[in-house]
Amino acid sequence: MKITFRGGVHPKEQKELSREKELRILNATGEMVFVMAQHIGRPAKPIVKRGDPVLVGQRIAEADGFVSANIISSCSGKVKAIEKRRTISGAMLECIVIDNDGQYTMAEGIGEKQDISGITKEEILAKVKDAGIVGLGGAGFPTSVKLAPKNPAGIKYVIANGADCEPYLTCNDQLMRKEPEAIVEGLEITLKLFENAEGVICIEENKPEAIAAMQKAASGHAKIRVMALKTKYPQGGERSLIQVVAGVDFPTSKLPADVGCIVDNVGTLYAIQRAVVYNEPLFSHVMTVSGDAVKETANLIVRDGTSFREIMEACGGLKEGVTLKKALCGGPMMGLTLSSLDIPIHKTTNGLLLWSEDPVEKAELQMTACLHCGRCTTVCPQGLMPQMMAEAAEKGDMERYETKLYGLECIVCGSCTYICPAKRPLTQTFKRTKAEILAAKRAAQAAKSAAKG
Amino acid sequence: MSMNLNLSSGPHYRDRWTTPFIMFVVALSLLPATIVGVIVNGVHALLIVLCSVVTAVLTEFLFDKLCRKPDTWKDGSAVVTGLLLALSLSGSVPLYAPILGAIFAILVVKCCFGGLGKNFINPALAARCFLLISFGHSMTIFEVDGVSMATPVADLMAGKAVDITSMFLGTAGGVIGSSILALLAGGLVLWALDIIHGQICFSVIIGFVVFIGLFGGQGFDPAYIAAHLCGGGVIMGAFFMATDYTTSPVSRLGQTVYGVLIGVLGAMFRIYGTAADSFSYAIIIANLFTPLIEKYIVPKPFAYRKRAIALQNGETPLPFYKRIPKPVFVLAGIALIAGVALSGVFAMTENTIELQKEAEKAASYQEVLPEAQEFVKTDDLRAMLEAQNGYVYGEDFGKAYINDAVIGQDASGQTVGYVVSATSGDGMEGNITLSVGIDLEGNVVKIAFTELNETPGLGMKAEEPAFKDQYVGRGVSRFKVVKGGAANPDEIDAISGATITSDAVTNAVNAALDFYETVLRGGNE
Repeated sequence: MKITFRGGVHPKEQKELSREKELRILNATGEMVFVMAQHIGRPAKPIVKRGDPVLVGQRIAEADGFVSANIISSCSGKVKAIEKRRTISGAMLECIVIDNDGQYTMAEGIGEKQDISGITKEEILAKVKDAGIVGLGGAGFPTSVKLAPKNPAGIKYVIANGADCEPYLTCNDQLMRKEPEAIVEGLEITLKLFENAEGVICIEENKPEAIAAMQKAASGHAKIRVMALKTKYPQGGERSLIQVVAGVDFPTSKLPADVGCIVDNVGTLYAIQRAVVYNEPLFSHVMTVSGDAVKETANLIVRDGTSFREIMEACGGLKEGVTLKKALCGGPMMGLTLSSLDIPIHKTTNGLLLWSEDPVEKAELQMTACLHCGRCTTVCPQGLMPQMMAEAAEKGDMERYETKLYGLECIVCGSCTYICPAKRPLTQTFKRTKAEILAAKRAAQAAKSAAKG
Repeated sequence: MSMNLNLSSGPHYRDRWTTPFIMFVVALSLLPATIVGVIVNGVHALLIVLCSVVTAVLTEFLFDKLCRKPDTWKDGSAVVTGLLLALSLSGSVPLYAPILGAIFAILVVKCCFGGLGKNFINPALAARCFLLISFGHSMTIFEVDGVSMATPVADLMAGKAVDITSMFLGTAGGVIGSSILALLAGGLVLWALDIIHGQICFSVIIGFVVFIGLFGGQGFDPAYIAAHLCGGGVIMGAFFMATDYTTSPVSRLGQTVYGVLIGVLGAMFRIYGTAADSFSYAIIIANLFTPLIEKYIVPKPFAYRKRAIALQNGETPLPFYKRIPKPVFVLAGIALIAGVALSGVFAMTENTIELQKEAEKAASYQEVLPEAQEFVKTDDLRAMLEAQNGYVYGEDFGKAYINDAVIGQDASGQTVGYVVSATSGDGMEGNITLSVGIDLEGNVVKIAFTELNETPGLGMKAEEPAFKDQYVGRGVSRFKVVKGGAANPDEIDAISGATITSDAVTNAVNAALDFYETVLRGGNE
């Protein structure tokens, strides 16, 4: 059986740093900051005012439109301010700041077990939407939108993504070991929406305990199976998983649902189970703290709105005599660098890496001219020609970049940059070029409509 | 607490392999071939390797310094270029050759076009061809244990048997890096490490073998094909030269097309060309095609290929053979047509050329032995000539060959003399072929040239009666060349300024006379 996609790289895993650390809950103490734009789509609209008292599980901001998500308070206390704060991307965005009283008083009805035997599809979708669930794999696409494709009967596979292919990150590994039944139940609830679909739980081979746990939990479920996949980055990419499970490649203009697939992270499925069965909206999630600079690596259940600094301190802070050179939100391949630790986490933040050394800084010193070695083309999971794309982008030949080389199909997984022996900043060039092309298109569109008007 | 955190755009993680590391591994993979080359060719070969590598690195270093460029000499690519150049030279070239070649490779071919990754042809090969063209004579001397000899490919093309085992091991002579075993070992390791692309090296070999098999005239005879593969730098070209990153395409399909192009061109030059080093030219020509291949052969992303589109639409994809890209068929067709056309033209012209040569030869026979009405051969003579065919004649005549010999008869069938056609390979500009008419007493009646391409104004004076009539009617069986003041019957005045030509002509005449003495006269008594 096919167990992987074409291309990909084998970055040093570094999972051993934290893979045996069991999940523990971190109850933050300081102020909690909830960013309104932490999902794909329009930012949520605050529904609380300064000075309002809030409880754990209380909705504090509402989805604005179809593609958007509710925001739920993860603590009890008072709304301190609604203002712009520095966020992960570096931008100043609107946030609700809550003065955490440290009591964690639950809102009414949260955590009570529900009878879901007769639940309808509409009720499931409503619960998922109310709970503010977004894709926890990293992108943060509102799950209620993903679970409502145009043709639900055409969905053949619901893929539970437990690949966890980013180096260092082990939180989903621990979640699968600790809560396999809950994840399977979440998958079952999702399968209720798609009567023709089969549930496939995909896990990379480097997590044998998680595979065993999930297999045990899934046994007896006729429509659910576990697949052990080759350990390779980006195995956990939505497109890589669909390529393995359904055997289909599809362009970025299409959604997974267009080829009969729904991909949800195991964390998202767990959140669905909590929301539907326990009436508990999404206000906490799992996260790994790792890297060579942190004293104690950990897998945590963190509350949304906690600051990175508090998370670092909960792990014993930095090692003595170590200077922090780089802090990453997420994994080393697709994560973002943090300019400061005094920034709140999002629902989708699955890692904090603290490094005393910066591989990028080192790589910049080793940069040479492109050799045309073709390594980038071998590893590209999309089958693109990164070397030619970089050449076209440098020459400013946007026509070739877009039409001949399909440059906009890049999923910015970073495999080409990772493998490049000449240390060329390929992915970085593609991100920039894509933004430039899209901006030029928007400008052309605007000029056209202005001319018409 | 304030921190200065480094920011970067993802990915923030890099593979350990760097450009110098790859160059280091490539250089290492060439080491076995270098060692075998030094063992076979002696210390001089080691000096050639050292001169080449050191000059290459030094040239890039000086270029960086003089042009105030970043220190690119550290990336190790110059070492690889120097090593490849040295391995593609004969083990007995004078040391100025690798030095000049390395300077040409690095300075002209690489640095002047923008350095690493920018050159449009393989620097080592370009330098090799530069040396071959500029210093042709000393580049093509191949010596083993001090004895000069023809390369195995030259023998192979002359239709002689070659020792494949010694070619495979690298003891047969040729260039320093001629040990196929050592080259294959290094090349396959590079392939296993994914440093060189199988699409290139194997399609080169497949293209070459198929073309040789189809048009080489001996079919797919394993020994014949193995001999072709083991000689003339095919393996070195396929694994180390054609796979040069900068001058080969990046896409797999492009690499396959490029590889087949090299294989077919190399085989075509080998069969129909005259130069034994044709494989270098095949690679250089394919290098020049690389930008074109890169421009037009761009594979589509997985999601846009026919199979994926069918799957996206819920259809059954076409079987594999219907999805083979069109260029593959087109190129295969072009190669086949070119091969057929070439072999056809060659077959037709070969005949005409042969007839033409025959006619010239017959005319020259008549010219040097006017008394004869008819020229005949006995069966014994035919057998003797057959045995001589292609071998250097005797030991005292330099590189002389006996091509043909006939008995001249008058109208009544009475023998009136003999004509011997002899070639000397020691001319200034290549072969000198002449017909010598010999009467029954062993006197030279006349000589006539059928092949003479010497220096105009100097060597070409051999055509003038003042020179060539010196041989006539002297009654001696061996001539020697003196510089002015020939007094004795066996002395020939050298053409002034063309001693080499004079010697070559005299050698050919002497060989003809010797053949007359030992075979013709003896055989008729």
